[in-house]
Amino acid sequence: MNAVAGGVRWFLVPAGMAARRMIADRSGLVVAVFFYLLVSVTLSSLWRAAAGHQGSVAGYSADSLTWYAFAAEAAICGIAVRLVDEIGEEIATGVVTAEMLRPASVVGVRLATVLGRSLTLLGVLLVPGTALAWTIAGPPPGLGPMVALVLPAFALAVTINVIMQHVAAAASFWLRDIRAAWFLYQKLVFVLGGMLLPLEVLPDSLRTVASCLPFMAMAYVPARLAAGHPAPELLVVQAGWLVVAVALAVAVFAAGQRRVEVTGG
Amino acid sequence: MRGTVAVLRAAMRDATARRAAFWWQISVMVANDLIWVLFWMIFFTRVPSVRGWDSEKVLLLFAVLTTGSGLALGILANCRRIPVLVREGALDEVLTLPVSPLRHLLVSRVDTVNLGDTVFGVVLFLAVGRPTPLRAAVFVAGVLLSTALLASFLVLIGCAVFVTGDGESSGLGTHAILVLSSYPADIFQGATKMLLYTVVPAGFVASVPARLIDRPDLTDAAALVLITGIFAALAWTAFTLGLHRYASGSGWRRS
Repeated sequence: MNAVAGGVRWFLVPAGMAARRMIADRSGLVVAVFFYLLVSVTLSSLWRAAAGHQGSVAGYSADSLTWYAFAAEAAICGIAVRLVDEIGEEIATGVVTAEMLRPASVVGVRLATVLGRSLTLLGVLLVPGTALAWTIAGPPPGLGPMVALVLPAFALAVTINVIMQHVAAAASFWLRDIRAAWFLYQKLVFVLGGMLLPLEVLPDSLRTVASCLPFMAMAYVPARLAAGHPAPELLVVQAGWLVVAVALAVAVFAAGQRRVEVTGG
Repeated sequence: MRGTVAVLRAAMRDATARRAAFWWQISVMVANDLIWVLFWMIFFTRVPSVRGWDSEKVLLLFAVLTTGSGLALGILANCRRIPVLVREGALDEVLTLPVSPLRHLLVSRVDTVNLGDTVFGVVLFLAVGRPTPLRAAVFVAGVLLSTALLASFLVLIGCAVFVTGDGESSGLGTHAILVLSSYPADIFQGATKMLLYTVVPAGFVASVPARLIDRPDLTDAAALVLITGIFAALAWTAFTLGLHRYASGSGWRRS
């Protein structure tokens, strides 16, 4: 029992420290909140103007599009933009080799740290985001029951995104330069993840592709729920992607670390 | 002026020295811009137009924005680095030179990644802008004014570092003008729209020049020239006054 508690501490301590560092960085928080609100207001203005023309867009009213935009942005803005790049750099420069000396999973501690920071920032963003979206569009559709779905969806979205960014960055174990990876990843989340536009807006073929990829679990799911579409099955989809993401992360980091052990850092 | 051109030429040679990296960065930025074009094309399959902006007009706006911001952030790359330069004491070496410090700073660094925007913007205009001699002339003039306005705004907010000591306001301002100018100003209403034509002149960075290409209008053109002139003068004044407060690690000051 004590061993389990000790093992859990390896992940809770870095997560807690990262969360405290996030809260202590006041200027960083101001910039993050400002950027989040700016992008959310801009996107929601665009979609409101679009819906105003026809009354709705792809089944979303102007108000639900507002909630969609604020939710999708919150799920994405909680994570450092160039996380893939940062992790890849730390793998490529050998920082990760020092972490391999610890008696704890390298990827586990890394995930705990980033999740501590990202989930804290998500919580911070959701407060002014909800207030502003409420001011613009009124209360969220289906307020009571939806909260029970939306909050876990946010947590799962950020967690899947963070884990998949680690998976993408693990390419650095094998490749010398993955500078474009973060960029490509970000764009996939923007379009196929439903951050810029609901998946229902995509052409049929593209929507089919998007619905088969993990990116939709990172922005579309919490945004769709926040927009008032009760679909608990989306949480099941997220849970499925979470399992896949964890398995992938563990496997690629294990393989990468083996390579470092054999060839040197 | 000859000195400025020589510095710019040297900065360009420096930026393009590693050919493979140069073309890679250009390609990445072009790919980024293509994603945005894809976004707008998908958007306009669902919505015929938004407050008078259809797909052709928005792509024209995007052509102006990418060309102008590519020039401002690529050729005049230091326009958004004033806070970093001041904090690091990097103005020292410029102040010893017999040239205008701001002019020298602006042309002494080229960011190749943003040049991809410029290349993309010009190609996009040629592809979807229905270029005629008049439209091309207005495009060029609009882009140059857009570049000057964007660079002036970034220098102006960057000069806050002389007072506050940090670059936070500069970061916020940069985010604001780049995000807001990426969309037609008419999607905003009320106070936000007013803001876009005054304090954060994002409406003049892309929306107004794009509108002028489609429908030349003397009032719009005069307003664009006037607001660019005002922000350029404010930027120059703020930087000059700021230099009096500048203190580097070695304590050099410009009297």
